[in-house]
Amino acid sequence: MQSLYLHLPQIWLALIAFFLLYYVATDGSDLGIGIISLFSSREAERGAMMESIGSVWHGHQTWLVLLGGMLFGAFPVFYAVLLSSLYIPMICMLIGLALRGVSFEFRARSKSKGIWSRAFGMGSLITAGSQGLALGGLLGGLDIRNGVFAGDIWAWLTPFSVLVAFGVIVGYTMLGANYLIMKTEGEIQDRAYRFSGVAAGITLLLAATAHTWVTLKYPFTLEKWAMPGFSTGIALLLAAALLAFVFYFRSLLRRKELAPFIFNVAVILFSFSALSLSFYPNMIPNLSPESISVGEAAASSNTLAFMLVAMAVLLPIILTYTVFVYRTFRGKVTNETAEY
Amino acid sequence: MDLTPVLLSRIQFAFTTMFHILWPVLIIGIGIYLLAMEAVWVRTKNRGYYHQARFWQKLFFLALAMGVISGIPLEFQFGTNWSEFSRAGGDIFGHMLGFEAAMAFMLEATFIGIMAYGWNRVTPGMHLFSTAVVAFGATLSAFWIMVANSWMQVPRGGEFVDGSFMMTDTFQAVFNPDIFWSFTHMWFACLQISLFVIGGVSAWHILKNKNTSFFLRSFKIAAIAAIIVTPAQIYLGDGSGQVVAEEQPQKLAAIEAHWETNPPGEGAGWNILAWPDPSEEKNRFALEVPYGLSLIMTHSLTGQVQGLKEFDPDNRPPVAVTFYSFRIMFAIGGALFLLMLWTVWVWRRGGLLRDTASEQRWLMRAWMAAIPLSYIAMEAGWITREVGRQPWIIYEVLRTGEGASPLPAGPIWWSLISFALLYLVLLAVFFWLVRRILRTGPETDQEEAP
Repeated sequence: MQSLYLHLPQIWLALIAFFLLYYVATDGSDLGIGIISLFSSREAERGAMMESIGSVWHGHQTWLVLLGGMLFGAFPVFYAVLLSSLYIPMICMLIGLALRGVSFEFRARSKSKGIWSRAFGMGSLITAGSQGLALGGLLGGLDIRNGVFAGDIWAWLTPFSVLVAFGVIVGYTMLGANYLIMKTEGEIQDRAYRFSGVAAGITLLLAATAHTWVTLKYPFTLEKWAMPGFSTGIALLLAAALLAFVFYFRSLLRRKELAPFIFNVAVILFSFSALSLSFYPNMIPNLSPESISVGEAAASSNTLAFMLVAMAVLLPIILTYTVFVYRTFRGKVTNETAEY
Repeated sequence: MDLTPVLLSRIQFAFTTMFHILWPVLIIGIGIYLLAMEAVWVRTKNRGYYHQARFWQKLFFLALAMGVISGIPLEFQFGTNWSEFSRAGGDIFGHMLGFEAAMAFMLEATFIGIMAYGWNRVTPGMHLFSTAVVAFGATLSAFWIMVANSWMQVPRGGEFVDGSFMMTDTFQAVFNPDIFWSFTHMWFACLQISLFVIGGVSAWHILKNKNTSFFLRSFKIAAIAAIIVTPAQIYLGDGSGQVVAEEQPQKLAAIEAHWETNPPGEGAGWNILAWPDPSEEKNRFALEVPYGLSLIMTHSLTGQVQGLKEFDPDNRPPVAVTFYSFRIMFAIGGALFLLMLWTVWVWRRGGLLRDTASEQRWLMRAWMAAIPLSYIAMEAGWITREVGRQPWIIYEVLRTGEGASPLPAGPIWWSLISFALLYLVLLAVFFWLVRRILRTGPETDQEEAP
């Protein structure tokens, strides 16, 4: 028990990482479908794409709300510094989410459906791009002094963050395509296979570039390679990520329906873990030696313990009913219009 | 007035919150209405109630879409615009928002899929269960957000170490002296407003003689519930006032524009109208009921009520805004109570029958007017609560100005204008689509017996 208490911030870091990954895998797919819908010129097709996630996107988006709340609760300092220093991409993301969020209901009720299926696509693109810029801004390093952001309000905007944003957009497109492969048939599915292959190729290239760039930028990530435990871990995770990529391409070629999505999630999981491990224990990388570490950013042990007990009860419940709802809507999406 | 970054952040927060709260009240209130209609339908198999559920559900889902998209920016704004507050209060505040998401939003958002798309996919019982879960989730989220707000008003359950809150007793923090009264007051406001929306929209149809049977049913259900809820709300409002007197005496003094503590043996008057002048520390003009304030607050004619002058001028909230917003809420609450008496009177005289209801022109118009009025009352109540909390963001611990993010004014201007434009456009579309829903009208099997 005592050691559990000492490692509360680490446990919470893992939980937060889980929320983030779950959000990226699920709502990332929804946003990717939005981006793919921008390439479609037929309203019926865009409508079908929206319907493929109509019953589940609400739940997916809520993982972002959960992530925000739990990050605020478990790592208040991190939440405060991150969101205020990334003010502009954060607000852009909120506006993108708003456009995407109203589009389903407005389209169902409106006569001019085209406006709202476009709002769905643009909202998704803005959201994905802003999340990418925020991630790029974070990985690029924030100027933090005495635990307060001291940099410029535009500091997040660099060639690197644009590269990361592009990577997130393409990565979500890949997820979205794989989701469509699972949930649709015919023409949309055929197109999704092509989207998936192209997006995966670009994502691989961008991810490798970004990873190399980060490793070269922060000397401490290189030092990790000299530490026995870390180096094996990172090497194994990177190898697993590459292997998942190989399986992923193979499943695409064999036109599997479920496997591409699964391997896609595996790629994200392994590469994210590798990156996190090379950064650990820093939560906010910084050029100065003042990086904010996990322990410093965490809330008090009482709060973390209390929240952990609550999550131990809530998370299984959440996952259970989530599975139940997925099962209710399993199978291909037929051309059923919203029944309400 | 100089538009500093702090002031801009305050304007943005006020605007985005006051916009957001328009929707959760409907999600909570209409959600319960839907649950009731569906439950009666499942039990009695009376299709009339099924059509009630299906029709009002359209409005519910539109409100839900607006509520969700305007709610997410609130959670993130604590970090973007109020980073120092987030750092200081995160130990409790953040985790209340986390609970809200994990317990309430997740439940709501997941089962909404079944509620919307599941009518033909799951059994009626399962669908009813989903509706119940969504309604329960909405109420639960109201509870947690009220806990968070309540803690800003009466911070309990821990101590501030180096400017940051360290929680020692979660139970004390959650069940602080304010939470029972503020949560119930807000929850009843949700019921009340939703009932006036359902009743008011129904009244409009009754006046126009469109689908009268359908809307007379919803009107009567809303009226019965409102007749119970409206007086109860006045009682809960009084309870909230007592907590303010106990925990935030300077807020109470500002609400009443009460400057001088009444000397022993003399009663404090209740100001109906006043022109408070903070620089002179008095009212330039006041219309008062002698002994009124002592009587309301202490239930005795000469009970002592602390005046604003007892508090450091730097710690006093803005008086005029607090004073008048409270009076607007109070007056509307009273007017709605009178509307209830009027409704009972007309009903008992047989004025709400299928053939007579549309002749009750003024009663129906009053119900329609109750929609904006009840909304104004709620917004005014929140202004009283939040402006009355000033100059503190965490009561008597952290000042609002110290809670803001170190941001320049430029980006806040930009985000404020973006939110304003976006919300106005979405509001216009919302009304446009509601108009379409009302024009199409409900589905009915035939003209049902009322």
